[in-house]
Amino acid sequence: MIQLKTMLNCIDNSGAAVVECVQVLKKKRPATVGDRIVVVVQKQRNFGSDSTGNSGIANKVRRGDIRHAVVVRARKEMQRPDGSIVRFDDNACVLINKAGEPIGTRMNGVVATELRGRQWSKILSLAPMHV
Amino acid sequence: MANSSSILQQLGCFRSLLTKPRVTPVNTTGRRMLTTAWSAKPAPIPFPKELPEQFHDQIPKRFRPDLAPKKIKIYPPPAQPKCKDPIDFIAQTQLQKLDPSGKRRELFDYRRHARSVKPGDIIRVTFKNGDPFAGVVLSIKLRGADTSVLMRNQLTRVGVEMSVKVFSPNVESVEIVQRTQKRKRRARLYYLRQPRHDMGSVENLVANYLRQKRALTGAKMGGNRKR
Repeated sequence: MIQLKTMLNCIDNSGAAVVECVQVLKKKRPATVGDRIVVVVQKQRNFGSDSTGNSGIANKVRRGDIRHAVVVRARKEMQRPDGSIVRFDDNACVLINKAGEPIGTRMNGVVATELRGRQWSKILSLAPMHV
Repeated sequence: MANSSSILQQLGCFRSLLTKPRVTPVNTTGRRMLTTAWSAKPAPIPFPKELPEQFHDQIPKRFRPDLAPKKIKIYPPPAQPKCKDPIDFIAQTQLQKLDPSGKRRELFDYRRHARSVKPGDIIRVTFKNGDPFAGVVLSIKLRGADTSVLMRNQLTRVGVEMSVKVFSPNVESVEIVQRTQKRKRRARLYYLRQPRHDMGSVENLVANYLRQKRALTGAKMGGNRKR
């Protein structure tokens, strides 16, 4: 149930820590895992941002940036075709560019397997674990 | 004169005896007052038998002889069904199909079987496609063939809950990793979601259990629970 003003954790190394949803794309309903949304970066990770601007782990996004993202975890439970239900304790997303490729190169945190069927296989393979 | 008139005046009181007693008028307007006398409903006038056919349509419809009160058709009761409780029958056949040995039923029917999974236990469910899920049992919903178990775990420090239909063909095996030390006083342990009660990750316990199991059963993985 990710909609306007929902705050999500960003679990990639793009530099964003907390983002806010401003738009759900291709849907008239709240977004769930696998949906593309538009977000505003609200809080950025503070590693390598001001001390060493060109150290390889520089933040690719800054506070206030508007980016696209894919929801990878949702608090709202989702039902699988076999009747099992999965729910996470937080809402999380991964930033992507307009073409749909992830901005970050690494991800930390479990993601939902629902990403597989929906063109986000690359994100699923980047994730350390999926449920 | 005066005498005769006074006598006549006195005789005047006998007039009331001579006149007929007055009868209260019969209720003609159809209104019944408290004072009107009750009268029985007049008996229906039988239909005149020798009335020629051509006069029939002058009589109100409801009095005509051919318009008898409508007969209500009474159907015989439907045939008794073969089984008393069809829903229960279907549930039983489904269970027979999904769990022929009855072991899975025993494993989750915590009201009847002492050695079953109980809320608070740590279990590990392996699916057909190979990936397992382990967690603390928060609740067991006993609903016949739709019986499900809700597990909770922390993966990469994110709480994950999964509800699994235990009789689903996708569920390959269910193992009890650890039983609760103390019987839980609740059937639904939803309070384990609160940070102060959260058990955290059970991955270490599960890894330990798997290591022990491997040592006991040889290097083989998988299989049924051995406890």
